[in-house]
Amino acid sequence: MPSSVYQRDRCITGIHGMDEILRGGIPYGSTVLAAGTCGSGKTTLGMEFLVRGALAGEACAHFTATEPSVKLLENIRQYAFFDMNMVDTGLINVFDVDVLYSWLGLDKASFDLDDVHALIKAIVDIVNTIGVTRLVIDSVTTLCYKIKSEQLIRDFLFTLGKKLATLGCTTILISEITSATENAHWSSFGVEEAIADGIIVMGDVERMGHLLRFLQVVKMRGTAHSRAKHAIELTPLGVMLTPMLKWGSAGEANWGG
Amino acid sequence: MAKKVTFSKEDEEFFGKNGSFGVPKFDMEMNGGVPRGFTIIAFTDTGSGAELFAKQFTSPAEEPDNTLYISTNEGQQEIIRIYEKYSWPLDISVRTIGEEYNSNVLEKQLLASRYRLEGFRIDDIQKLAQTRFVDDSNQDYLTEVTNEVMALDPYFRVVMDSLDFFTQREDPSRVIGMIRMLQAHTQMYRGLLFITVSNDGLPPAVKQELSQIADMVLSFKVRTIGTDFETSMIVSKFRNSPENLKILVFRVTPDEAITPETVERIA
Repeated sequence: MPSSVYQRDRCITGIHGMDEILRGGIPYGSTVLAAGTCGSGKTTLGMEFLVRGALAGEACAHFTATEPSVKLLENIRQYAFFDMNMVDTGLINVFDVDVLYSWLGLDKASFDLDDVHALIKAIVDIVNTIGVTRLVIDSVTTLCYKIKSEQLIRDFLFTLGKKLATLGCTTILISEITSATENAHWSSFGVEEAIADGIIVMGDVERMGHLLRFLQVVKMRGTAHSRAKHAIELTPLGVMLTPMLKWGSAGEANWGG
Repeated sequence: MAKKVTFSKEDEEFFGKNGSFGVPKFDMEMNGGVPRGFTIIAFTDTGSGAELFAKQFTSPAEEPDNTLYISTNEGQQEIIRIYEKYSWPLDISVRTIGEEYNSNVLEKQLLASRYRLEGFRIDDIQKLAQTRFVDDSNQDYLTEVTNEVMALDPYFRVVMDSLDFFTQREDPSRVIGMIRMLQAHTQMYRGLLFITVSNDGLPPAVKQELSQIADMVLSFKVRTIGTDFETSMIVSKFRNSPENLKILVFRVTPDEAITPETVERIA
């Protein structure tokens, strides 16, 4: 029976298990907050999101603020899904945020309104000029550290998200959090989670003395999705997501079958 | 324990107790020139001839490779032109901090303004994506200059024209600290250090402290008399030689550059 329900176009992440959780992928143009604790696989998830896009011929961009791009690329090379040619040929464009700051005269302790606008303009310029459809900012926490007012952080994220959505760019904002428990905030400044279209939480759970990585989609505007915790395995082939405890309603039970 | 510097007898004989200002008539008025180890601070008015005097001060260049002219306002070409004009030695070391600052800092700021205003072009983005490290050209010129002077051999001759570059950009206490260090070094190494600093905008407390550190204080003045200008130098401090305190009216001649004309004793 043909469905009369409007379905938004999806950005197929290509990450094993993720598109099934999201019922087909992230709605195009969404800004998704990937909030996770240290070592939970945020950067790998972000990088694989870009690589899968590049393999489909999409232009991708990665802004790295937490580690130098040289180190990031060296670390990511161990994964079979990554091919350095994607960077060399400009399919994946990796930008060092400190270089961007230096070019924009933003190498200072804190940003004012003009600086924030300059940063938004630069990111949007890059996305627009090279037609980026997948963007990862790693991490938005580091970017926001220099923005001293909560209102300005809100403006920054809201304006950036709005402009990127207009350009049809699906964005993952990586956020560093110290705890991924149920009562924890999913962002460092408390405003990112309210503005983002989607929230993916990543953390660790202890099982029989072992730390298991988990991923949970808490919110995703424009699509139904599973809210169950999924175990993450960082394999040489990439991120693998498998249901952790039980799998939602009966209709969802066939996932991954 | 204080560092000891030894001087050979030959050097002592060669360099003597005094050095020349580069202006024979001025040497005469100062009873034989400037004692080795002196730090001279010249407070200047715009258009008073202090820049020319600063260059002239390097002209005796007893040891050209131990003579350093630091300019914060002029470029290499302009400095060479003046040295050629008066046949002063061209083999001294010259550092043009103003030029370095323009290319390292101001050009970068201008480019940043363009990026912020006009955005990135495709070639900018390609270059940005290939740039992995920040070009760290934010130099600490104050430390650099201090180290450069401190690295010179005994009997050096250094001119810094002018200190304004640092007083306008750095914390005054840091600049004063640098001058104190250089004064002590100059004294120990029997060098000659000549520093110009503009009167305009200099806080009185900084001026007072600089005057206290200096062994000799000069003021370069310019005033109009009818349709003419009169330039003068006031020697308001000369450590242990108050008889040298004078007002010297000078003019600039094509052969000798700055030349005192009339002298009035003030002590």
